[in-house]
Amino acid sequence: MKYTYFLYRLLLLFSICLLFSVSANAQTIRGKVTDTKTGEPLTGATVHLTQDGVSKFVAVNLNGAYSFKNLKNGPYKIQVNYVGYGPSKVREGNITSVNEVITVNVALQDADMQMTEIQVKAQTNKESDGAVRSIEKNAPMVINVLSANAIKLLPDVTVANALQRVSGVTIQRSASGEGRYAIIRGMDQRYNSTLVNGIKIPSPDAQYRFVPMDIFPSEMLERLEVIKALTPSMEGDAIGGVMNLVMKSAPSQFTFSANVSGGFSTLFSSSRPFVGFSASPNSKSPAAINGNSYAATYADFSNKALTSDKNISTPFSSTAGLTIGDRFLNKKLGVIVSASYQNIYRGSNSKQLTPNAQPSAIPLPNSPQFSDAYDRTYSTQTERVGIHNKIDYAINDKNKISLYNLYIHQSEFESRFTSDTLGLGLNSTGLSKQITISNRSMLTKQNIYNSTLHGDHWLGNEWRLNWDGVYSEATRHQPDRTEFFYDANKTLNNSGAVTAEVDNNTQLDHHWENNRDKDISGYANLIYTPKIAGKDVEFSAGGLYRHKVRDADYITYSLTGGKSTLFNNNFDAIPFAFNSAADGIGANNPDLQNNYHVRENDNAEYLQIKFDLFPKLQILGGVRIENTDLTYNTQSPETVTQRSGNIKYTDVLPSLHLKYQLTDNQNIRASYFAAISRPGFGEQVPYKVTGEYYDQVGNPYLKHITADNYDVRYEFFPGGADQLLLGSFYKKIYNPIEYFVVRNGGPSDQVIKPQNDPGNATNYGFEALATKFFGVIGFSINYTYTHSRITTNKLLYSNDPTLGLQQTNVNQTRPLQGQADHVGNASVLYKSAKLGLDMQLAFVYTGERLAQVSPYYNLDFYQHAYNQLDFSFEKTIAKRFSFYGKVNNITNAASKIYLKYPHGSLDAKQQEFLGKQDIAGQTLVQSDYYKTLFLGGFRYKL
Amino acid sequence: MKKYIIPVICILMAAAFSGCQKWKGEHMDIYSYTPPAANPVSDKAPLSCSSSGSTVIPVKGTMLTGKTYTVEDGCDLVINPTDTLLLQPGVRLNMGAGSSLIALGTLVSNGSKNQPNWITVPGIVKNDAPGGFTAAVDPAYAGKWKGIIGGPTCNLLVLRWTHVEYAGLTEGKATSTIAGSGTGNQYSILFANYKGNFIMEDSWLYGGIDDPIRISAGKIAIFRNTFEKNGVSGGDCLNAKGGTVGTMAYNMFIGTATNGQKASNKGQATGAPQTNIVMYNNTFVSGGYRQVQSGRGGCINFEEGAAGMYYNNVAINCKFGYRVVGSPVADVAHLSYGNNYQWADSLSVANQFYPTGYITQPQSTDIPSITTSAKYLPSNYTLGSIYDGSDVVQKNNPMFLNFPLPTVGHPLYQYNAIGNFNFRLLAGSPLIGKGNTTIKPLITVPLDKVYGLSDATLPGADLGAYQLNGSGNQH
Repeated sequence: MKYTYFLYRLLLLFSICLLFSVSANAQTIRGKVTDTKTGEPLTGATVHLTQDGVSKFVAVNLNGAYSFKNLKNGPYKIQVNYVGYGPSKVREGNITSVNEVITVNVALQDADMQMTEIQVKAQTNKESDGAVRSIEKNAPMVINVLSANAIKLLPDVTVANALQRVSGVTIQRSASGEGRYAIIRGMDQRYNSTLVNGIKIPSPDAQYRFVPMDIFPSEMLERLEVIKALTPSMEGDAIGGVMNLVMKSAPSQFTFSANVSGGFSTLFSSSRPFVGFSASPNSKSPAAINGNSYAATYADFSNKALTSDKNISTPFSSTAGLTIGDRFLNKKLGVIVSASYQNIYRGSNSKQLTPNAQPSAIPLPNSPQFSDAYDRTYSTQTERVGIHNKIDYAINDKNKISLYNLYIHQSEFESRFTSDTLGLGLNSTGLSKQITISNRSMLTKQNIYNSTLHGDHWLGNEWRLNWDGVYSEATRHQPDRTEFFYDANKTLNNSGAVTAEVDNNTQLDHHWENNRDKDISGYANLIYTPKIAGKDVEFSAGGLYRHKVRDADYITYSLTGGKSTLFNNNFDAIPFAFNSAADGIGANNPDLQNNYHVRENDNAEYLQIKFDLFPKLQILGGVRIENTDLTYNTQSPETVTQRSGNIKYTDVLPSLHLKYQLTDNQNIRASYFAAISRPGFGEQVPYKVTGEYYDQVGNPYLKHITADNYDVRYEFFPGGADQLLLGSFYKKIYNPIEYFVVRNGGPSDQVIKPQNDPGNATNYGFEALATKFFGVIGFSINYTYTHSRITTNKLLYSNDPTLGLQQTNVNQTRPLQGQADHVGNASVLYKSAKLGLDMQLAFVYTGERLAQVSPYYNLDFYQHAYNQLDFSFEKTIAKRFSFYGKVNNITNAASKIYLKYPHGSLDAKQQEFLGKQDIAGQTLVQSDYYKTLFLGGFRYKL
Repeated sequence: MKKYIIPVICILMAAAFSGCQKWKGEHMDIYSYTPPAANPVSDKAPLSCSSSGSTVIPVKGTMLTGKTYTVEDGCDLVINPTDTLLLQPGVRLNMGAGSSLIALGTLVSNGSKNQPNWITVPGIVKNDAPGGFTAAVDPAYAGKWKGIIGGPTCNLLVLRWTHVEYAGLTEGKATSTIAGSGTGNQYSILFANYKGNFIMEDSWLYGGIDDPIRISAGKIAIFRNTFEKNGVSGGDCLNAKGGTVGTMAYNMFIGTATNGQKASNKGQATGAPQTNIVMYNNTFVSGGYRQVQSGRGGCINFEEGAAGMYYNNVAINCKFGYRVVGSPVADVAHLSYGNNYQWADSLSVANQFYPTGYITQPQSTDIPSITTSAKYLPSNYTLGSIYDGSDVVQKNNPMFLNFPLPTVGHPLYQYNAIGNFNFRLLAGSPLIGKGNTTIKPLITVPLDKVYGLSDATLPGADLGAYQLNGSGNQH
């Protein structure tokens, strides 16, 4: 196995040599490639030079420039190609003298424009940085965009990780360090929505409406938009922002590109292998197969997910992508198919202190109590398959339709090994050690399917109609999550050898969890563009209707190992059985409320007007009405209050966006918009999940969140990819949903429940973003300051001199969960068309943020400031071929979580747990290390 | 002959007098009017829920002396928050499989010594001989019905001279939602209202799955009861959590899975008081052997912020001795104890009189004496450390009326029911007169012959549940 590792290093070395293979200087042809209409530089366009029967290719750099050096005298031909543009005319010329420098500037014409004028108005679908600058500049609202070219060069392979490069966005990571959710300007995932080509997609998440962003391979994108202010024509459920994934659309001519890469994580070695497993053959639970009255026995279960564990010391990650596009029937029919495959092995090493359900009132009020110190190793294999296709057809000059299909599948195999640090444990002494091990194999399959039929119709000169018919499906399956616990006491003799072992608890859980969303939606917009008083005015009116059906089921079977058989890595030897035979019956499943059916009918209507009040002042305003009608049913018996319900609400959402054009390349914007955030399904249905502290239950009386949002922004687009954005925002959030500890019936039966906080939350801050290129070297930085505050009720457990130990409620003001005060990105880009080399060194800083809210006063978990450094490059090595590489987390940054409790104040017994501490006033309770991830591969582009 | 006359006459006279004494009598038959119960519960047909479509049978009123009531399988017999159900003495309530009794209002089972009440499952054959049944087949641990739940609005739950048997089935969704409890609960009796009163006196609890009695919170008085075969593989027999205040006294425990009595302040609700429990004169026999987890206790346990006291208790062959937990620490500043007796058949039991790893402070009034020998609690003994108990094995035989010690013929875990055993003391027992009678019970419940605690027996001079003078546990 060491041998393969050596090979990778050799490969890496070889590739670095390639990067710097520069040719000598002689006769030169150079020039710029721009868009005919906008004059934007077309970075990434391919310049094809033929001289003496020999072809050479270069890519256009960020400034829009290209050059060929070391040419011979004689005639030459130059042609420029670029996705989405028609090929340039063939330019012919002749080099006549030594060291002659010839300048050939090429302007490309937009392929869409060539075809019909409608398309230009309907969409802007270019992939370059320059093109997205013009989107940012021309958009009526506050927006940040990452172009396909920028994404391609990023060190990231998923949309979630790419999002962290966008100004004001931070990401929340999964256990293996993979980014999963985006937090936009301090507003966590519940406040944000995800669109694909402007169409909202359902979420495969078990409880919430937000979509896990790591399931999208980033290479399928044409661009990634983060829209931070909503217009009336947009759906109103995004207080933080909208992530719009604009997928690749059909090119103007035959396009073919393919890439393949491989890599590895330095986390894994023969001493810390990746642990892979095969999925359990039981994709359905015994209750799902045999009915809810069936009494399952141990024979109904398979432990394959655990027993098939296999160690791989250096698992090889791979990715592949393929895009084919062409245009037929006199360019009227465009087709693109793009597929992406990723198989990534990641993981983390985690040290974690497990807190008790309740702190201690001694020595200090709310002194944290730890029951275990765990060492956990995560091994995660993520397989992603994404395939999408778009077909557009121009029926005639006035009518155009398109069909878009997207299918995304992600299978995540996560194995988690937990061992208690031997010798710790509350009940341990010098000669008696309590140990706990727990192994879990969890396969999570998520799918998103979306099919959108879109039409554009030009009804005379001033009227336009567009519509969408959408079918979407999102599913998540967790088949047979298998977890094994073993808790034993070992008696040691004086020399430390184990003399006896007592099995305290042996438990085996088999768990199934499924949910499926089906959305049928229709959108229609009517746009009327008359001239009023000599000015162009655009009126739009439209609406949408969505019928959503969500079904979820959930069941856990817990078996016990009889406690008389010691565990020696052999499951078969343990006589697992149900504690009571009745526990095997599906109808006795305590989580029947988690089997629910939701039907939601939403409709929305809007009116919007856009006009220039003064020549330089654009006004866009209007109002949107959103109606939500949700009905849920659970399988809970009739005696269960809240077993079903209907919730309806209507929101009126006005918005106003002003854009003042200071100069041709400078804007000042100001906007106001009202927005909402709907509670997650798992929050509104009385869904119950077992939590680390308290169980968490849903609350049907939850109201949706509303917010007033204000934005101002100054923008400067000096040309090319350069930009300067300075902005500020203020949000007032009403009925924010926060999690409180409440009594669930009995006084000591307490649960965590989402509730609308009676106090409103505020969130404000400012953003700065600057990108500047100096020839081949560019710098890009962005910084966001966010300040949010909310006051919630917390528990304080203290020792009262007269009443004894008391639990009281106190208010605590804190930031919103997930919000970091300071967030920044800095990257250095090197883009040389001459060398055929692009490189990027990217640095992300996420300041301290509230990772998890505790029900107890002052015991919130804070994630320490996190820095990550990534590197990526792409080098053209031959005609149409390039080599690229991505290196993630070069510095092996750790994610660390602290309690703001001075660790020195813990009692002596607790001190044994602590391990190494590094901040005097705090207690380090969790640290996760992911190590460095390498990926290298080849790209072919026709 | 003459010489016999006087004695004969004397004998005759004595016989006559004594006979006359015998004949002498007084009989009073005075009419006393008891108003008929306004809402007698009918025993004509089983209490049924199957026609209602839900599992609920609402019930209130009075169950009459001498009658037998039957609850249909799978039904929840519910006393609504403003209602009362009174069981007169001599009522038998037969619980159907999977049924429950939920008190959201007031439940009083007012049995008497001569006419105890039964809340049980009919037709089950007990075998209480040591080793008579294995735990796997013993119906005591089968959880035939779910149990009695005093919900969050239950203001009073009284069990007096009442047998509660064979409960502990998992509550499940429907029952727990009605009762405001937990779906996974397997308690024979649950009480969960810190403003309410839970009174159990002179009653019997037989069998169970998890904690046979869980007091999530409440004002409690648990006096003179007998607990047998409680908990299948875990569970503390009387498990009091955060917000529980009161007294546990003169209770007899045999063969509890884990502890007999446990106090913790875990889960103290806002507004509820700190757990504070006074425990005295309880007897624990063979406790802790069905709890396979190590270090879990076998008689009395104070942990996690609980205050209180324990005196005059007797622990015979319990797997672990009286246990005070150091982390999460009991409220040791407000916890006192002493005059507690322990007996060990074997060294392994004696080595856990002061359980390893915990912070029980040996007291000078403890029996065996903590100064028995140089080995037993040496001068350098620190709390929770390992010591050599060999000098206190089989010392100070308690001299029970019928329970020979050391035990012979059965492993300790098989002693889990009273059967023919009798734990009253013989004259000369070293337990006599060793009790602390200066401590006071903590009475938080109303004192009343029916709707309260009828007798708060004060701490006794003799250790354990049975006093030589006949007071204490009456079973």
